Amino acid sequence: MSTPAPKQAANKPTPTPKPRPIPKPTAGTKYFWDAAKRGKLALQYDPESKTYQFWPRTISVTTGKRNLEWRDTSGKGEVYSFTVTHVPATGFDGKAPYVVGLIELDEQVRIIGNILNIKPDDVKVGMRVKVMFEKLSDDISYFAFEPDK
Amino acid sequence: MAKKNFLDKQDVCIVAYAETKIDRASGKTAYELAAEVAEELFAKTKTKPADIDGVSFSVPISECSNPFWSNYATDYLGISPRWLQTTDLGGASTIANVCRAAMALQNDLCETVMLIAADAPSTKWSAVYGAYRNEFWEPTGINGPPGAFGLLYQRYMAQHKLDFRGLGALAVAQRNGAVVNDLAYDKFRQKITIDDYLNSRQVSSPLRLLDSVMFCDGGNGVVMMKTERAKKLGFKNLVYPIAYSEVTNHKGAHQTPDITESGFSVSGPDALAKAGLKPSDIAMFHPYDDFLIAVMLKLEQIGFCKRGEGSQFLAETDLSPTGKLPINTGGGQIGAGQPGLAGGGLNLVEAVRQLMGEATGRQVPNPKNAMVTGIGVIPYGRNWGTSNVLILNK
Repeated sequence: MSTPAPKQAANKPTPTPKPRPIPKPTAGTKYFWDAAKRGKLALQYDPESKTYQFWPRTISVTTGKRNLEWRDTSGKGEVYSFTVTHVPATGFDGKAPYVVGLIELDEQVRIIGNILNIKPDDVKVGMRVKVMFEKLSDDISYFAFEPDK
Repeated sequence: MAKKNFLDKQDVCIVAYAETKIDRASGKTAYELAAEVAEELFAKTKTKPADIDGVSFSVPISECSNPFWSNYATDYLGISPRWLQTTDLGGASTIANVCRAAMALQNDLCETVMLIAADAPSTKWSAVYGAYRNEFWEPTGINGPPGAFGLLYQRYMAQHKLDFRGLGALAVAQRNGAVVNDLAYDKFRQKITIDDYLNSRQVSSPLRLLDSVMFCDGGNGVVMMKTERAKKLGFKNLVYPIAYSEVTNHKGAHQTPDITESGFSVSGPDALAKAGLKPSDIAMFHPYDDFLIAVMLKLEQIGFCKRGEGSQFLAETDLSPTGKLPINTGGGQIGAGQPGLAGGGLNLVEAVRQLMGEATGRQVPNPKNAMVTGIGVIPYGRNWGTSNVLILNK
């Protein structure tokens, strides 16, 4: 006869929520995170096609050359789309509902980031936003966006 | 003039299909599920492992940390392939493998190909992502695929009218398929209403719970060979791939593409042109269905209806097996459960089952042809990664 499984303790401890993931910069993204620490949103610029690109890669998706330059930007743009998250992702326990936006920056690239300092119901496609940073560790300041009034 | 099409001679065919029960946290491995698929395929084709000289797999989430998955899987099954293809196009892998197997058969790299997809992500999750995911995705708190598709819903609503009752009608039609599909996940085998869809909780607004698939465990597969050989061996119920088209990373060099425009705007019309067919010639549609809006966008971009009219089309069209455009008659993945990255094979196998006239309880009356699609991968702030289309004839 098998032994009955032990009953779960009534006061089962709540599992410790996992922390928010912290980026580990690579050789190709170090500049971006250093700029973030300075409070700047840096983007890669292709001097030949005169276009910006994001997310950071070491090669131009326009010309195929590894000649991209980093440029600090104003960090301003508009909400291209957004989603209100009701089921929190890892490290966001207790924060739902929160807004993740797809922002079209004035440099004509798109970037995904939280939209903060506004009620989820008030976020609209087309509204102007500007970058802000949340300090996740001594080395990493993470970009987010807030209304640009 | 018709486009050049390497499948236009119907010189390769599918002779058998197999599918496991879909279940949650089955405790099985991808190898064990692949064995269930293989046993059924061996039995249906009266072959033994030594008779199979070509194999294709999709990469399973449950084994993707293992760089030798396909080698170990052939060892597990006792097969010594002369042609082995493993495809990592996610849910687009299985129909991509039909195309690749057809090319291998036509070029005599092998004679009998077993295409297997098996995955058990609800038992074992092995995926660790690289690229943009660690630095620019996970720390934003975007809730994975529902988050990415939430962005698509919201943008679509800013561009076009979205009648959620149309998506609800699709949810109901697919769930009706799961109810009559013995292999569907048991908990999904009860009817729902459009109101159940509309009232289901918000996951990543505007995306609801009943917009979404649920990861389960399962497997599926088909056997392909040259038509001449199939006839010589006495196979009578043959299904022919007649056109295929694929695109990955649609508009990959554009920084600000329209995110609701998918690669199906390219691969859909291309596959139809190769087959010499119009959308209205398609007898049934078996689209890869991770989220309901994906099916709707495909209807628009392949050309079943106009851009911006997808939800209206869904609301007004009879999608049942006896209707004007039967869609995912066995429930699809949203109805029956998603067997991980073997998911694309579920849509293919249902199309083959229908074309062979074996879809008991949900048979399409005149299954002359079928369109099957695949979707692979969630990209950064864009539409989805791979968009592929396969057209089958009987």
